[in-house]
Amino acid sequence: MVNTKDQIINVFDEQKIRKNEALISCSGVNVFYSDKQALFDVNLDIKEKEVTSLIGPSGCGKSTFLRCINRMNDVIETCSIEGLIKINGQDIYDPKIDVVELRAKIGMVFQKPNPFPKSVYENVAYGPRLHGMFINKSDMDKKVEESLVRAGLWNEVKDRLQEPGTSLSGGQQQRLCIARAIAVDPEIILMDEPCSSLDPIATAKIEELIDELKVNYTITIVTHSMQQAARVSQKTAFFHLGHLIEVGETENIFRNPINKQTEAYVTGRYG
Amino acid sequence: MSDHIVSSFDEELNEITDGLINMGALVLAALKSVEEILKNNDHNLAQKIIDNDLQINDLGQSIEIKAFNTLASRQPMAFDLRLVFSAVKMSLYLERCGDMCKGISKRILKGDLTEADSPNTIESLVILTNRVYENLSLVLDDYAARTSEKSLEVWSSDSEIDSIYSDILMEILNNIKSKPEAIEALVPLFFIARYLERVGDQATNIAEVTHFIVTGEVLTDEKEIQIENETTF
Repeated sequence: MVNTKDQIINVFDEQKIRKNEALISCSGVNVFYSDKQALFDVNLDIKEKEVTSLIGPSGCGKSTFLRCINRMNDVIETCSIEGLIKINGQDIYDPKIDVVELRAKIGMVFQKPNPFPKSVYENVAYGPRLHGMFINKSDMDKKVEESLVRAGLWNEVKDRLQEPGTSLSGGQQQRLCIARAIAVDPEIILMDEPCSSLDPIATAKIEELIDELKVNYTITIVTHSMQQAARVSQKTAFFHLGHLIEVGETENIFRNPINKQTEAYVTGRYG
Repeated sequence: MSDHIVSSFDEELNEITDGLINMGALVLAALKSVEEILKNNDHNLAQKIIDNDLQINDLGQSIEIKAFNTLASRQPMAFDLRLVFSAVKMSLYLERCGDMCKGISKRILKGDLTEADSPNTIESLVILTNRVYENLSLVLDDYAARTSEKSLEVWSSDSEIDSIYSDILMEILNNIKSKPEAIEALVPLFFIARYLERVGDQATNIAEVTHFIVTGEVLTDEKEIQIENETTF
């Protein structure tokens, strides 16, 4: 519990990790939904400005793990977490952590595009406004444009900014959600199967975007597409039945994994 | 390794593997025939090798198409990716082996081995053929069994083939010096030795490919370069 305002810790206030040290460091992470254990002793380091893919069959715990990183699991009453998750050297489950600030700095993109029932402009401006980032309109306009440009959507929507976000195509909506996430200047972007409801063209645009975004952001993506993981990520982690089985350079995971279970999964020998 | 969830994927991989094993068997048969020709100067058999080479080429082409389609439709990973990717290389190596046997046959058909009057050289060529046959046979066994021990053995013993080859070249050179009038009959022996040595190289290449399929590790070329430098005239 937070007792006084001056005790609140903002995870990203200052650079606390050394160069080449993991931005996200997880050790001994166990997650339970009531008495059912979903994650078992997960130890995983995620480096800054790298794309890390989490792969594994349905129900293996990869989305559960992703939601631990921005404390999304806090909203699930039956969910309890053990172990240590440090971001920028700070335990994010420290009671003194400002969770709202933490979630602002860790953007999240979901499987199904979920724009707010507002205009394209308002979808992007909503976060910065909520966080009191900009007071005058021209600054906000700049931020909206910059975010839409970074999300690779500006040219397609610059003349439709006042139209409802929901009027865009599925792929455009997903990029709008990415623009919304990056509008509040996050450090980390979590993506939970961001392309699973998109066609190949829209998927390609998101993948191209991930490639561009990794210059400025640390990205962790849950994907069911092994080829997508191979294309977009530098590191890949394979989960199975709540255990982190293997993590390594993506190239090695797909060319010559060490663990037989990983090999069986990536070659389609069991589901 | 267990089967794929999609059984037709297993069938496709088996077709590629079986195709390469058959291709290897055809090349080995051609090498056996080369040995016979060298021993008996059998021109009919030489013509048969030339005719059968088409079969090797056709098989190679069908394997490449199958591998291409599998890459596109299955997007294989890990062991499967190594297997399919390597199939293309391996079919090329085997096809070249077939070409070498065909080349030897053409050289033999153009002249008469007996005119070279070099029984010792012919005997050395037979030894070289046997050695190359043995190496190719070992790596193909490894490939079929998905093991890599024999391949490593072949990979590290290619220098022995190079050494036999060098000795043969010296022998032919000496023969030319002592019997310049027989130069036309002796020159084809040069080419035959060279073709056989190249088949040996392809066996080494296949050993590398097999090792890569089985272990995922790439054997470095350092040793190969060293050997090449030692045996270059």
